Amino acid sequence: MQRHIRTAALTVVLLVPFVTAAPADWRALNSAQAAPSYTYQGTVRAVNARTGSLELITGVGMSLRVVRMTMAPTTRLVAAGATPRLTDLKPGDVVRAEGRRTAAGLVADRVEKLAVGTR
Amino acid sequence: MTRPRGAAVLLLLLAGGGGCQKPVKPGDPLPGLSRAERDRFDHGKVVFDSVFTPETGLGPLFNATGCGECHENPAGGRGDEVEVHATAFHAPVCDPLAQEGGPVIQQHTTPALKQALGIDQEPFPPSATARAMRTSPVIFGRGLLDLVPDSVLLAYADPDDRNHDGVKGRPNRFVDGRIGRFGRKGFVPTLREFNAGAFAAEMSVTNPAQPTEEDVGGKPLPAGVDPAPDPEINQEQLDLTDDFVRFLAPPTPLKLGKDGRHGRDVFSQIGCATCHIPTLRTGYSPLPALNNREFAAYTDLLLHDMGTDLADICLGRATPADFRTEPLLDLRGAEHFLHDGRATTLEQAIELHGGEGSGARDRFKGLSAADRTALVAFLKSL
Repeated sequence: MQRHIRTAALTVVLLVPFVTAAPADWRALNSAQAAPSYTYQGTVRAVNARTGSLELITGVGMSLRVVRMTMAPTTRLVAAGATPRLTDLKPGDVVRAEGRRTAAGLVADRVEKLAVGTR
Repeated sequence: MTRPRGAAVLLLLLAGGGGCQKPVKPGDPLPGLSRAERDRFDHGKVVFDSVFTPETGLGPLFNATGCGECHENPAGGRGDEVEVHATAFHAPVCDPLAQEGGPVIQQHTTPALKQALGIDQEPFPPSATARAMRTSPVIFGRGLLDLVPDSVLLAYADPDDRNHDGVKGRPNRFVDGRIGRFGRKGFVPTLREFNAGAFAAEMSVTNPAQPTEEDVGGKPLPAGVDPAPDPEINQEQLDLTDDFVRFLAPPTPLKLGKDGRHGRDVFSQIGCATCHIPTLRTGYSPLPALNNREFAAYTDLLLHDMGTDLADICLGRATPADFRTEPLLDLRGAEHFLHDGRATTLEQAIELHGGEGSGARDRFKGLSAADRTALVAFLKSL
């Protein structure tokens, strides 16, 4: 009896990862056609509300790069306790931007203005 | 009866001998590394001392062919190279010119890039508002500095000078908002990022942390000038180099004589120690050699306005006049001082302090010759 219980417990332990991982796999299968997403956190270098473009400075150490992305009608802009517009962003602001690569380049899904210590 | 007493004396001698550590020389690893960590230090030194070629990832723009070209005598020490940095300051915003190749202006090109574009160095960015010269610092003790908690830096900060001592101090911020501490402007948050960024910015050796090559003045690289596939070093090479730098110990200060001990007191009395805080303590590390260690740092890792005479470029939240307090490590081996090496003596370096450092500078100028000599003797013990 004890042996059966132990075998059953072992089976459950071994199967749990597959069961709990399953939804993630389903999501991956469902989004197989979608572009992979990217997240950048950096400083706004330039913003153009007319063309809906945003340039961020990112990088590692002293090796810095510019990331360019465009806003889509569905792009969500958020900030602590507010819903800013693109015109509210200015050079020097720190943002976290999530987006995906398309044929037209990097398109932002969500841009969050971060509150960073200024002193 | 005499035999047990003899054994006790032997035990005491052994115990005393165990507590007497050998002085750490420049280039030595931290005391207390495990065998495995010491192996990584040794293997990391091999990568650190490697000389890269275009075929192994060098360039096409670069300042040096390897880490050891600038941090030498011994590995991790200071070199005689001076490099060029540039940014654009449009107050209050600092543009690090990432769109024009970034703030580090590489002074050399590979033969292939020279042939393709006819240039010997990275073009100076047209948008730059200032140029800065930067000497190669010693990189001893950086693993310890990396582990000083941000909360300690913030506790030393006094941006509004609430204690009215004329010294403020505030942390710099990286482009993503995190508190910075490495580099002459205290821009880079962690040692790991500083090392990975140095591979890319100094040698144009791409790596897993920075897998893309820098362009030339905002224009893509010409085809065929960068033969090595990216990333040009792998994670293990990057990690080993990082461990080598992380495990480099700060050299043990020389034993102080009477003059030096008096100089140490003068150092505090005239206010040098307000920013050059003598000791800091690391936070938690899983490595015992780095965990909760008090060490001689002589820095607060904060930005201070050093006056218009020293001002050069902005970087992050650092204005042109802001510099991070330089850790006073291995001064005994230095022949040039300050961020650009303009001072050739310690006295000159102190007298060039301006802005928030002007109070200490003026008190230094008011010292007797004997007190000045004592202060310099103390600094030369570091």
